[in-house]
Amino acid sequence: MFEYTSSRKKVILFFVSLIFLLFTVRLVQLQIIYREKYGRMSEENSIRKVVVTPLRGYMYDRNGNLIVDNRPAYTVTVVPAEFDTTKLKLLSDILAIDQQELMNKINREAKYNKFAPAKVKRDVDFKTLSFIEENHEELPGVDYIVESKRAYPPNIRGSHIFGYLREISDEQLAKAGDLYRRGDIIGATGIEAQYEKYLRGEKGYNLIIVDSKGKMIGSYNDGKDDKAPLEGDDLELTIDAKVQALAESLLSNFIGAVVAIDPRDGGIIALVSKPDFNLDLLSGVTPVELWKSLIEDKNKPLFNRATLTNYPPGSTFKMILAIAALQEKFIDQNYRINCTGAFRFGNKIFKDLHVHGSTNVIEAIQRSCNVFFYQMMLKVGLDKWSEYAGMFGFGKPTGIDIMEENAGLLPSETYYNRVYGEGKWTLGYTVSLGIGQGELGVSPIQLASYAMALANQGKLYKPHVVNKIKFKKSGEIKKLDVQYKQIELHPEVWKFVREGLYRAVNLPGGTGAAARVPGVNVAGKTGTAQNPHGKDHAWFIGFAPYEDPKIAICVLVENVGFGGVYAAPIAGLCIEQYLYGEIIRNKQPKITLTKTDLEHTND
Amino acid sequence: MKNWFEEKINAGVLITVVILVGIGLLSIYSATYDTGASDYFNRQLVWAGFGFLFMIIITFIPFRTLQLLSYPIYILSIILLFLVLLIGKSVAGSKSWFGFGNVGIQPSEFAKVAVILALAYFLSDKKVNLRRMKYILLSFTFVLLPVVLIIRQPDTGTALIFIASLISILYWAGVSNTLMLGIIAPTLAAVSALFGITYFLIVVLLLLIVLFLQRENKLISAIIFSITVLIGISVQYVYGKLAPYQQKRIDIFINPESDPLNAGYNVIQSKIAIGSGGIIGKGFLQGTQTQLNFIPAQWTDFVFCVPAEEFGFIGAFFILLMYFYLLYRAIHIASTAKSKYGSLVAFGVVSFFLVHIVINIGMVMGIMPVIGVPLPFLSYGGSFLFSSLIMAGLLLNIYANRKEY
Repeated sequence: MFEYTSSRKKVILFFVSLIFLLFTVRLVQLQIIYREKYGRMSEENSIRKVVVTPLRGYMYDRNGNLIVDNRPAYTVTVVPAEFDTTKLKLLSDILAIDQQELMNKINREAKYNKFAPAKVKRDVDFKTLSFIEENHEELPGVDYIVESKRAYPPNIRGSHIFGYLREISDEQLAKAGDLYRRGDIIGATGIEAQYEKYLRGEKGYNLIIVDSKGKMIGSYNDGKDDKAPLEGDDLELTIDAKVQALAESLLSNFIGAVVAIDPRDGGIIALVSKPDFNLDLLSGVTPVELWKSLIEDKNKPLFNRATLTNYPPGSTFKMILAIAALQEKFIDQNYRINCTGAFRFGNKIFKDLHVHGSTNVIEAIQRSCNVFFYQMMLKVGLDKWSEYAGMFGFGKPTGIDIMEENAGLLPSETYYNRVYGEGKWTLGYTVSLGIGQGELGVSPIQLASYAMALANQGKLYKPHVVNKIKFKKSGEIKKLDVQYKQIELHPEVWKFVREGLYRAVNLPGGTGAAARVPGVNVAGKTGTAQNPHGKDHAWFIGFAPYEDPKIAICVLVENVGFGGVYAAPIAGLCIEQYLYGEIIRNKQPKITLTKTDLEHTND
Repeated sequence: MKNWFEEKINAGVLITVVILVGIGLLSIYSATYDTGASDYFNRQLVWAGFGFLFMIIITFIPFRTLQLLSYPIYILSIILLFLVLLIGKSVAGSKSWFGFGNVGIQPSEFAKVAVILALAYFLSDKKVNLRRMKYILLSFTFVLLPVVLIIRQPDTGTALIFIASLISILYWAGVSNTLMLGIIAPTLAAVSALFGITYFLIVVLLLLIVLFLQRENKLISAIIFSITVLIGISVQYVYGKLAPYQQKRIDIFINPESDPLNAGYNVIQSKIAIGSGGIIGKGFLQGTQTQLNFIPAQWTDFVFCVPAEEFGFIGAFFILLMYFYLLYRAIHIASTAKSKYGSLVAFGVVSFFLVHIVINIGMVMGIMPVIGVPLPFLSYGGSFLFSSLIMAGLLLNIYANRKEY
C-alpha cells in the first residue's frame, strides 16, 4: 500500500521471527536440556517460603521505662493436606477446642492453600506443647511455631491507650494488598492500631527446600536468599507509668475516667477509663466467650470513657462564661451581684444551694455561685458563650492520636433552631448552660485539654500519647510534631479566672479543697453532671503547680454525686505522684461522703 | 456463499483466536482446580462469550463508521480513566477498577483499543507529515494522556506497553530510520543505564556502529549521539539521588532475583514448572507446581506455565506457534490493506499483541524482568480478554475492508 511498506514488513517479520526463535530456544533449554534438574526440583516439591514475622515495636513511657513488651508464645499449626482427620478428636482434646471449630479453622486455610500451615491455637501452654511433641508420630501435619505476644507490666492495664491486637479480617486483608497474610496479627484499637505501620516492622522469610510430603529437607541456596525480619519501630510515649498505675488503682472500684495532660506540650501523662479489661487476654485470638462477656457487660469495659463519654460538664464549665463576660467587657472584676440563693427568670426559679451574698467573678468561681452565672448567661448570650466554648475545643474532637473520640455537643442558636424550631425556644432554655447543665456534652479528654489551656494561658495543644518514634531501620529517633492553637485573651482575664481556680482549692468556701497537695499549689474546679438515669456524675478539673503548671487533669467518677468528694482527691493524688514521683503524704484522705462535706459542697 | 465467506472472513485469524481462548480456559480451569475458586473459569467463559459476540459485531461495522468513531471512542476512554481515579475501586493497592456488583471493569484495557483507533486516524490524515517533529510530538501526546492517567493508578506495566507499542506504530507509519534511531536510542540508553555502566556502554557502542552504517548527515548523527549519552548519564545521576526504597524498587525491576519473596520467587517457581514439564508434560490437572499453588495467582500473569507444565514442550511450542501465526497473519493484513487507516489499525493491534506476548512469556521463562503484564487470550481477566477480542475484531474488520480506500 504505501511505498516503504514492503521493506518495513520484512524488518518487522524478521524481528518477530527472531523473538519467537529466541523463545523456542529458551523453551528447549528449560524443557529439554535442563529437564532433569527442574524435574527433580519439582519432585522434591522444592522451595517453600516461610514468612518470618518480626517482633512488634516496643513502647516506653516518658521516663524510658519499658511498658509494652513482647514475649514468646507458641502457636499450634496444622497443614491441612497432611492432617489425618481421624485424629481430630485427639487433637481437639489436647488443645481443648471444639472439634467443629478446629475443623473449620483447618478448612478455612485449606480453601486457599492446603499445604500452608493453618494456625489453630495461639499461645498454648507448655504442657499442651510437650503433649504435642510426645505425640508427634500420631499427629501428622501438626506442629507448632514460635510467635510473639504482647506483655504488659503487672500494675498497668492501659487497655484504652495501648489497645489490643487481633487477627486480620478478610476485609482488611483485601484492602491491605500483600503486606499481610491470613492469620496475621494487626492492631485493632488504641496505639496498636493508630501506629500499626510503625509497630509492625518488616517481614522476613526463609526459603526452604521441602520434599513431596512437605517435610523440610534443608534451606535453599544455604540461606543466602533468606531475608531476616526487621523489628517494628519503638515508640516513646508521653505516659508516666507510675501515674497511670496510680490512677488505675484509685479508680478501680468506680466507673469513670482520668485524663492527665502536660500543659507544656499536650502529652498525655495518664489516661484511664474504668471498668477496663485485661489486654493480656485479648492480644492474639480472643476466645469467643471472653468477647461475649466484654460486649455484654452492662458497664461496657470496651468503651473508652476518657474520649467517648458525652456528659454535661457541670460547674467546671463556668470559667468559659467568666472568660467570655470579662473578655467581651460585659463585666469587670469589680462587678458584683447579690446572691439570694435563687434566680428568677420569667416564671421559672433557678436555685442555688447557698446564699452567697455579694459576689464578684473571682468569688463566683471560688464558691461556684450559680446565681452569678445564670445572670452572666443572659448578659453574654448563647452565641458568644458558644463561640468561647468552641475556642477551647468543645463541640469537636481534640484530635488525640488514639482512635475513637466523641465530638460532644456544644449548642448554638442554629442548634436550638434546628431542634425546637425558629422562635419556638426562649432564653430560659439557655440559662442552665451557664452552669454547665442542660443540652451540653463533653468528654474527659476535652475537659483535660480545657484545663491545660487554663493552666498554660491559652495554648491548646493537640493531645497525644506518642512523643517519639525510634526507627529500627535507620536508628533515627524522630520527635513527632506538636501542634497547638493559641487562644488570645487579655492577660487580666487569665489572671482573674486562674485566681478563682486557685481559691476554689485553697481558700475557705472553695469547693475543691480535697485536691490539695502538700507543698504544691493546686488550682481547680469541681463539677457535677446531672444524670437523669441515676446518681449524678462527679467532675474535677485542675492543674498544678499554680505558678508554673506541669500537669493538668480531669477526673470523672460516675454515679457518686458531688465532684468535690470523689473526683478532687483522686486528682490531688495523681498530681502528687507526678510532681514528686511518689506519694509523700502519710495518710491518704478518706474517700467517703460525710455530712460536713455536703454542707460545703455546691456545684 | 463460500466465496463470500472467504472474501469477508479471515479464517486463519478467527480459528487461531478460538484455539488460544480455548487453551486459556483450560489453563485457568487447571490453575484454579481444587482451590475453591472454581468460579474463575465460569467468569472467564462468560467474558469469552460476550467477547466473541463483540468481535463478530466489530467485524461487520462499516469501514467509514469505524473511522468516524475513532476520536469519540478515544475521548470516552480518557473520561473513563479520569473517573476511575476518582471513583474507582482499589484492588491490591491499584485503583484501576470500576466495580459493578461483583463484576470489575478496567478502563485501561479499553484505552488500548481507543489509542490504536485514534492514532491510526491521526497518522492517516494527509496533513500529517511525519518528517516534522510537531506531528511526532502530537502522536506522543495521544499516548501520553492515557499513560499519565494509568501511571497514577498506578500501573506501570500497562503504561510501558503503550509507549513500546507507540514506537512500533510510528515505525509502521513511516517515520524515517534516522528519527526512529533518535527515539529508540535514548530510550534504550535510559533503561540500560539502570542495568549498569557496562550495558550502557554496549548500547552506546551499538549506536555508534549503526550511525556509521547509516552514513547519515554528521550533524544529525552527532545530535542523536549526544542526546543518548546525556540521557544515559542523567538517568544514573537521578538514580543516585533517589531515596533508598525507590532505588530498591528499580533494582527489583531490573533484577527480580534480588527479591525472591515476591517477584523472584514467582520466577523461580515458574521456571521449575516449565522445566519440569519436559517434552510431553505431566498431563492435564497433573502438574504438581500448578496444582499445589506454588505460584501465587497463576491464572493471571503466570498462566503460560500451566500448559507448559501439564503439556510440556509440545504444548508450549504449539502455543508459541499459534501466536506466531496470528502475528504473521496480522502483519499480512496490515501490509495488504489499501487504506493507510486500515493498515495502521491492523498494525496497532500487532504492536499491542506483540509487546504483551514478549514481556509476558519472556518474564515467565525468566529472560525478561518481572512486569505485571497479562498474556493475550490466555490470562484470566475479563476486561483484558474482552479488549483482546475487540482487537481481533478490528483485525477481521480491516481484512474484510482491505480493498477500501
